[in-house]
Amino acid sequence: MKRIAALLLLVLGTAAGFAQSPSAPAETKLSPAERTMAQAKKLIEKNPKDFEAYNALALALSRRARETSDVIFYKQAEEALQKSFAISPDNFDGQRIHVWLLLGKHEFAAALDAAKKLNLKMPDDVMLYGFLTDANVELGNYKDAEVAAQWMLDLKPGNSPGLTRAAYLRELFGDIDGSLDLMNMAYQSTPPSEVEDGAWIVTQMAHLKLATGKIDEAEKLSQQALAMFPGYHYALGNLAKVRIQQKRYDEAVELLKQRYQAAAHAENLFDLAQVLQLAGRAYEAKQAFAEFERKSLLEANRADNSNHELIFYYADYAEQPAKALEVAKREYARRHDVFTLDCYAWALHVNGQNEEAHKQINIALAVGIRDAKLFRHAGEIALASGDRSAAESYLQQSAELNALQSEQARATLARLTQSAEGRVTHPRNHQH
Amino acid sequence: MQRLKAMVAFATVLFMLVPTGLFASSHREAPISALDHSADVTDWYGFVSYDHPDRVTMILNVDGFLEPSNGPNYFPFDPNVRYEMKVDNNRDGVEDITFQFRFKTEIRQPGVFTGYVGGIGGIPPITSLAGPGSEGLSLRQTYSVTMVKDGVSTDLTDGQTLYAVPTNVGPLTMPEYQQLFKQGIYDLGKGVRVFAGTVDDPFYIDLGAAFDSLNFRMGVGGVMSAAEDADDTHNYASDSVAGFNVNSIVLEVPITMLTVDGQLHPAGDKNAVIGTYGATSRQRITIRRKNGKLDGEGQWRQVNREGNSLINELIIGTGSKDRFSVDDPENDKQFANFFLDPLLAHLYASILGIPIPPAPRTDLLPLVQYTGPICPGCGPNDGGPIADLLRLNTGIPPTPVGKQKRLGFLAGDLAGFPQGRRPIDDVVDIASRAVVGILADPVKFGARVGDGVNINEDGNGATFPYVLPAHSGRNSHHTGPGQKGCTGQPSGVCPVK
Repeated sequence: MKRIAALLLLVLGTAAGFAQSPSAPAETKLSPAERTMAQAKKLIEKNPKDFEAYNALALALSRRARETSDVIFYKQAEEALQKSFAISPDNFDGQRIHVWLLLGKHEFAAALDAAKKLNLKMPDDVMLYGFLTDANVELGNYKDAEVAAQWMLDLKPGNSPGLTRAAYLRELFGDIDGSLDLMNMAYQSTPPSEVEDGAWIVTQMAHLKLATGKIDEAEKLSQQALAMFPGYHYALGNLAKVRIQQKRYDEAVELLKQRYQAAAHAENLFDLAQVLQLAGRAYEAKQAFAEFERKSLLEANRADNSNHELIFYYADYAEQPAKALEVAKREYARRHDVFTLDCYAWALHVNGQNEEAHKQINIALAVGIRDAKLFRHAGEIALASGDRSAAESYLQQSAELNALQSEQARATLARLTQSAEGRVTHPRNHQH
Repeated sequence: MQRLKAMVAFATVLFMLVPTGLFASSHREAPISALDHSADVTDWYGFVSYDHPDRVTMILNVDGFLEPSNGPNYFPFDPNVRYEMKVDNNRDGVEDITFQFRFKTEIRQPGVFTGYVGGIGGIPPITSLAGPGSEGLSLRQTYSVTMVKDGVSTDLTDGQTLYAVPTNVGPLTMPEYQQLFKQGIYDLGKGVRVFAGTVDDPFYIDLGAAFDSLNFRMGVGGVMSAAEDADDTHNYASDSVAGFNVNSIVLEVPITMLTVDGQLHPAGDKNAVIGTYGATSRQRITIRRKNGKLDGEGQWRQVNREGNSLINELIIGTGSKDRFSVDDPENDKQFANFFLDPLLAHLYASILGIPIPPAPRTDLLPLVQYTGPICPGCGPNDGGPIADLLRLNTGIPPTPVGKQKRLGFLAGDLAGFPQGRRPIDDVVDIASRAVVGILADPVKFGARVGDGVNINEDGNGATFPYVLPAHSGRNSHHTGPGQKGCTGQPSGVCPVK
């Protein structure tokens, strides 16, 4: 009991402020993850055989990975977990954290297997249903994901992790308003001291606003998230999208540079390169794209990769459709979520395989997702397949969402209207 | 792809570290229902009516351990809960007929400080549930009874306004409580009767001893003497539930409303046997919204259930109790390991030094499948899925009051638990003996396991609604170790050790 109390104390401390950077000055107040890391280390110092303290450290480190987007913390978390297992082999909480780490590393199939096994041992553990949801969502098993997330809501009504997962599923199923409702509920039930959790939820709300063209609200929410957790990389990304919508490209570039500095991942560089191009900074864009390709290829065969971006890079910017399809096939072999299906369909399309592309994009849209990019892709694929009516319908849906890709959909629709024969040339080298 | 795409990573540290298993107790068996007391099914009963062999009575008790004096709001049913009685009549483990009960609350005296007042301030004593004499019922509840069969909902109230019987506040406020209790019995026509209200909890158990790791009182529990075991009229240990009330819904319906073909069947006919359970549901957030309905007005999701008494309390592991509560009986195969090798049996064997049958415990299957002896007419293909249902053979006639045995089926009283369940049935002793193997071999595994609490000291109702009026808030007391109340003991004092 004392042990549980100590662990709870670890997480109940309040925080007035924090720093996102791992190299923050000593006088800067700690982030929630840093705080729990420090407290777990103290417990370990006190009792090096305290496996639960190692679990707490592993959890805090993986949280820090999210705060900073620095995957080095996952490695450290794994090391902490190994120490926990060395003291208490196969302890249940350690195994749960192991699943979480697998998910963080995007090893979804392995995570699903491990979560299923633990779920059989402890069917009442709500978080395991969360892991089942996550793994199934990422693999594209939406029915199973829905069942698992519903268990979360039924077993522990109102729990934040359940609400956020249900919100994401609603978004994927096309219910954006319903998704916002649940995100808002999750936000209301998040303790004020959990600033990063709060900022993450607000960032998701901003994303939902962006997806439906509510730019002003998205901007306010992004700013709110940044006020809660300064320099938050997710919020910087959303605010950059707002600036792109506002055609304030240079500001978007600065925001994405800031994000890349905080989270130097290939996919973040890809976004930056695209906006540099939009801003007319062709030389910088070219350099950024080249650096992106180099970094992305290094991780292309790992579970945690930037293959979606690499596919669009090859398809839309590098004019190397064969390479796009090769990467897409590899990713498709791993997972069938709507975004992978979209990438695969687009890669098929730019290789002229429109029949199969049409099939894949339809499978994605059948999930219910209402996404301007997917609708635009579906429209372009339909157009290339000669189905003008379907193309217009998809493009119209994309345009109505007034999101990032809507403008391109509107442009294609305009060309369609102007074309007496209904034949248009497919523009290349556009933003995916 | 956004690295660390954070749906994957969202979980508060607090949530991750909260221990998953909480303490489980008899009337609050699952962590989820322990936190939701008004939806907590404490006991489920189903039996052929004593004075109407052509009818079945079902009792759904919820919200246990109601301290009679606990005002000012006392114990209304929860209007946000749907209380349900479910019946499977074709042996597939899925309900074919559901009786639903919904309550509404009205506050009639908003300026009064308590739910019930009478005999002071110009307000007459409460002598009636409606009309003159009911003025003091500031908090009054009405309820509906709906039968759902083949997807069709039928209102069974027969146009009557049904009032739930309030708890017994005390003699000044409710001088003729017995009369109020009787007013709460409604004849809905066509052989249907209903009652809802706060009543004496008919369940009896030495709860403290049972959950102190089976630490039964010396010389009383554990393994009882032949004389103690044969005594159906005295207690040898304290009844932890004595003096507490519970909220009860009682429904009596003709057997022909329940059987698959609407006919009466003899005991040897498999169609005489039904499987029943009680459940509670709340409207919950669902991922897919129906017609854009606001959250909180979503679909009904089960919160708690009970078929066989004590299955969730004594058989299901703590790490599975919530899932068990929320899931449907037809999916109970996932808990088969608990049924077929109960940990409790091993504990009894270890503590009491008695033999138990080896796993898999197929002798326990009659509790969770349709088979003999409860269903002698069932063949090898009639068992249905493993499902926690209280199975009742409607062809077995009721045992007259006075001849009923607390050990029910085990004592040759074929109308008793686990062949249905009556308030008189000592489910603690019966279930314990089933767990240690009496159904496998009554000689080899027939230890007289028991807690020494053999009766509900307040007795049991002989006619509908078969429950007794609530204890008085002003004048009731409980029975505990070291206190008077164990008439089986020479001193009448309940043992402590």
